[in-house]
Amino acid sequence: MEPQEQNDLLEHGHRHGRGSRHGHSGRIFGHQHGEGHLSIDYYAYSSKMRPWNPSFKIVMSVFFLICVIAMDSMAVSAIVLFTMAALVMFKGKLGVSRYLNLMTLPFIFIALSSTAIAFDFSLVPKGEYCLQLGFFYISATRASLISTANLVLKAFSAVSCLYMMTLTTPMGEIVGFFRKIHVPKILVELMYMIYRFIFILLDAQRRMSVAARSRLGYCDRKTSWYSFGSIFSNLLIISLKRANAYYDAMESRCYDGDLRFLEDDKPLSPFLAAGAALFTAVLAGVWYFTR
Amino acid sequence: MGETILEVSHLSYLYGNDQEALQDVSVSMEKGEKIAVIGSNGAGKSTFFLNLNGVLTPHEGTVSYRGRVITKSKKDLNYLRKNVGIVFQDADNQIIASTVFQEVSFGPMNLKLTKEEVTERVKEALSYMNITRMRDRAPHYLSGGEKKRVSIADIIAMKPEVIIFDEPTASLDPMNASMLEEVLKKLEQEGRTILISTHDIDFAYRWAERILVFEGGRIIADGKPVEIFQNDEVLARANLRKPTFLEVFETLEQKGLVKGDSYPRDIQSFRALFK
Repeated sequence: MEPQEQNDLLEHGHRHGRGSRHGHSGRIFGHQHGEGHLSIDYYAYSSKMRPWNPSFKIVMSVFFLICVIAMDSMAVSAIVLFTMAALVMFKGKLGVSRYLNLMTLPFIFIALSSTAIAFDFSLVPKGEYCLQLGFFYISATRASLISTANLVLKAFSAVSCLYMMTLTTPMGEIVGFFRKIHVPKILVELMYMIYRFIFILLDAQRRMSVAARSRLGYCDRKTSWYSFGSIFSNLLIISLKRANAYYDAMESRCYDGDLRFLEDDKPLSPFLAAGAALFTAVLAGVWYFTR
Repeated sequence: MGETILEVSHLSYLYGNDQEALQDVSVSMEKGEKIAVIGSNGAGKSTFFLNLNGVLTPHEGTVSYRGRVITKSKKDLNYLRKNVGIVFQDADNQIIASTVFQEVSFGPMNLKLTKEEVTERVKEALSYMNITRMRDRAPHYLSGGEKKRVSIADIIAMKPEVIIFDEPTASLDPMNASMLEEVLKKLEQEGRTILISTHDIDFAYRWAERILVFEGGRIIADGKPVEIFQNDEVLARANLRKPTFLEVFETLEQKGLVKGDSYPRDIQSFRALFK
């Protein structure tokens, strides 16, 4: 890819990012995950690991995920975590800060649930580590801490495997993989359509909410609820209308009930296959000797 | 006179609520013609186009392509759709795939071509529209002008003989509009028949060889641009105005500054008058 092109890409991303943030910053979507979701989609399109064979990436991601869970070894989890993270950050050129940023969401979930596992509440002191807080104690045993560490590592490692897939493989290619493994056609076609429509409806919603804001549609709570309701009922009508227009456009291009696209051939490089095999062997070795 | 390629006779189309969208429309188009379709919103232009392409089938009358009358059979409809392509007004209503490459491949794939042929056609269409570098990008990260190019490439990849553009100049910036005119020139040199619906009177006057005026679901005028735009009755009925160049020329003619019947259609031929 030429630098000019890359600039172009980034510019669009930014423009898009800014646009969608507008949509979400209103009181309609108070939460922030929406934007994170879209940025994952954008990162997948611009990843330098995109030329890799998508089936390979998906199969490897799931395969290493299973390895991590089945081998249940801290060393294996750590190796997988670092390898996957390094792949996405450096080979996929995502950058460290973006990756860490994306990890914050799972981090919160994992941190909350692991504290509950690691620590114990009791009225009497017990365990190797104990903290008195008024009339009760928070305690932990060495064993519980180690098993929690193992669990945390395993969870992060699993997340990193899935991130390796989602941050380098656009949705279209993932759906293409489902088609290849003969997932029922209706599901595959629905996935294609839903994916495309998410963006079309988000765009429509954004426009309407900007238009509502420009007419003081969010000036107080009551008005905001009213605007929110109107926009969403309108969205339903728009989606029906657009579905119609879509169908016409598809028919005009000889659509006959089968959604067909030409999948780009991305041959699997033997180096990558060898690399994956080697990595699996290393994991198996580590697992065997640390058992 | 070229060969007749697309012929519509006594076509009527009703929408669900029994309102006639098209009434008794008859017109025949020749190979290589450049036709502008004008008329106010809701005059029936888009419905007419969808009938020409077989997405809608007429309640009365027929559409025939190269002498073959199109029935409601799948075979006939596909034959028509293969040869008549529509570039829709809103590219977002046309683009369905998640990368530009896949999007352009949709039409050729439906034509049941071999994989090699599809690849060849997609590559050709992308370079035709000068969007080869965007081939792996997602449509939702493209700008409006870029999406328009993709939607045109969609149709070019199917290699239809007749290409219909539904209001292509709406919402294009000047640079993309002139890109569009260049593409039209290229298509014209290849001998394709082009139909364009537009509200841009000056564009229609400059570009078209023939103009169809729609009003209330009927064609109320069909002829050369100069004839149409000098017919004040037609202009009044269809709520149209005269093209600027024609008005300027007529004013100059009244003042006796120019004469002759070589009506200038663009700035070059206008300047040539004063040499």
